[in-house]
Amino acid sequence: MSKRRFLNYLGLTVSTLSALIGLFFLFWIIISLIYKGFHYLNWNVFTQNAVAPGDNGGGLKFAILGQLEVVGIASLIGIPIGLLAGIYLSEYGKDSFTSNVIRNICDAMTSIPSIIIGIFIYALLVVPMGNFSALAGSVALSILMIPIVISSVDNILRLVPNELREAAYALGAPKYVVIFKVVVKEAIVGIISAILIAISRVLGETAPLLFTSFNSNFESYKLNKPIGTLTVTMYDYAMGPYDNWHHLAWAAAIILTFSVLLFNIASRLFSYWRFSH
Amino acid sequence: MVLTQSKWVRAVAFFAVCIALLFSAKISYAGGSINGAGSTFAYPVYTKWAFEYEKATGNRVNYQGVGSGAGIRQVSQRVVAFGGTDKCLTKEELGKRNLIQFPSMVGGIVIVVHIPGIKNNQLKLSNAVISKIFMGKIKYWDDPQIEKDNSGLKLPHLGIVIVHRADGSGTNWNITYWLSQISRQWNQKVHYGLSVNWPTGVGGKGNMGVASYVKQIKGSIGYVEYAFWLQNHLTNVDLQNKEGKWVAPTVATIREAAAKANWQPSKGFYQVLVNQNGAKTWPIVSGTFVLIPKEKSPKYKQAAEFFKWGFNHGDKAAEKLGYIPLPRSTKKLIFNYLRENGF
Repeated sequence: MSKRRFLNYLGLTVSTLSALIGLFFLFWIIISLIYKGFHYLNWNVFTQNAVAPGDNGGGLKFAILGQLEVVGIASLIGIPIGLLAGIYLSEYGKDSFTSNVIRNICDAMTSIPSIIIGIFIYALLVVPMGNFSALAGSVALSILMIPIVISSVDNILRLVPNELREAAYALGAPKYVVIFKVVVKEAIVGIISAILIAISRVLGETAPLLFTSFNSNFESYKLNKPIGTLTVTMYDYAMGPYDNWHHLAWAAAIILTFSVLLFNIASRLFSYWRFSH
Repeated sequence: MVLTQSKWVRAVAFFAVCIALLFSAKISYAGGSINGAGSTFAYPVYTKWAFEYEKATGNRVNYQGVGSGAGIRQVSQRVVAFGGTDKCLTKEELGKRNLIQFPSMVGGIVIVVHIPGIKNNQLKLSNAVISKIFMGKIKYWDDPQIEKDNSGLKLPHLGIVIVHRADGSGTNWNITYWLSQISRQWNQKVHYGLSVNWPTGVGGKGNMGVASYVKQIKGSIGYVEYAFWLQNHLTNVDLQNKEGKWVAPTVATIREAAAKANWQPSKGFYQVLVNQNGAKTWPIVSGTFVLIPKEKSPKYKQAAEFFKWGFNHGDKAAEKLGYIPLPRSTKKLIFNYLRENGF
């Protein structure tokens, strides 16, 4: 066998093995989660609220709805800002000094530990307001989302061929029409999958919520009051002494993992749909 | 994909209605609501009390176990109405932060083991032996020094594995303080603190981490709070107290430590409960404390009311969860202390 062919096989084997190792751990996590936690998932988990510690039964309704509210409002804040900033970078800023500075800051921000963002919002919103609030949690999550949305929208829009823009300009379209009716329309599928990825990124976060939206054992959805969330409740229940809490923590883990998976798969399907058209 | 103008208006109106609905959520209630934060140890009891308190008075108390350190910080910054801490503050610290402090209950720390064939209250470990075990000097369960106090037991030739807390915690502080009291060598080499350099063993995160390691590892020995010992069906050992008597961890022996303690309201009840006097006293006991700001505000008044209610109606609930309520004499001191501070 020639040396080149041997190296080819070697490289192929090593990379296939690496891929399998990655997949192995992903499936291990999912399968052990289903194996250990699936039988704790029942209708009550979705329809009941928390009961006092040590009592049996109860569910996670307050935390599931709370999580949806916090992530929903975070998306309402984060997605428009990220989208518009991404459009600015790709269509107006281009390769100017300012936009490169913004790009670098975005890259740096995606790697900031999320607990730091939580503490930042604690100092910025919670201490001055004198109260933990659902809104503070949403703001913390939106700060996590914004840089992700900005850099992916920027990258996606820059993939749109320049000829399309030129053609629209040649027909006399003003810039905002070119951007919204030509560039964004061309890239809409990529933008939606980027948004879904950003949502799934913040869906499983606990650290930024600990000191912002706090947690609550009661059902309350007010924006200016602490709110129960699935991630923080799961953490509390998993570390507590009672079996019933551990069961609910397993159920919460399954709900969270599968929602994140669902968002990821949805974003994959969107990009697949784009290429098949 | 660009929305027409009327669609935009509709979308904005829709979001406005959604947000208005959230603010005026129908799931409201007549009473007030306050928040508290701190000690994870106290979390189950305060939460249990809060559920019953809401039924009895209509007021909501939302307590979250974020850790004693965070609890002290958050009540000092006045973002919560009360804080919970396992590490009591000194008079000076209380003055600086303008807080009052009192204990709410006590908890015992239980030494747990996992040795095949050994059941609750069978194994006796003397002060000299247990400090040597934690130092890593005694390596096997059938060591003659252990067998000396346990003549009736058949101990296997099994290696001893120490399980300790990997995180900093009040439980760690109390157990290392106790080891420093009973062993001069421990005091010199390891000393005490929220986290120390353990001579040997494996670390688990939180009480739950230690409990699950002890369940999994044969030959292990660890320490957990009383409630975790009770709920996780772990095997406890008997210890020697300050008077050298053998004692088992029970509600009575742990409560004895709180009764023997010299509580001083003028010092904000600052008191270490480890190794208290008394023939029937469990040696490793700690209190958990409440911090309330001194300022006149309905929020802080409500917090004090909640604990008064808990002292009057919450003993049974706390005991059921594996916690030990304060003796009546101590409660009386606290009621006076609250009255003196205008609560």
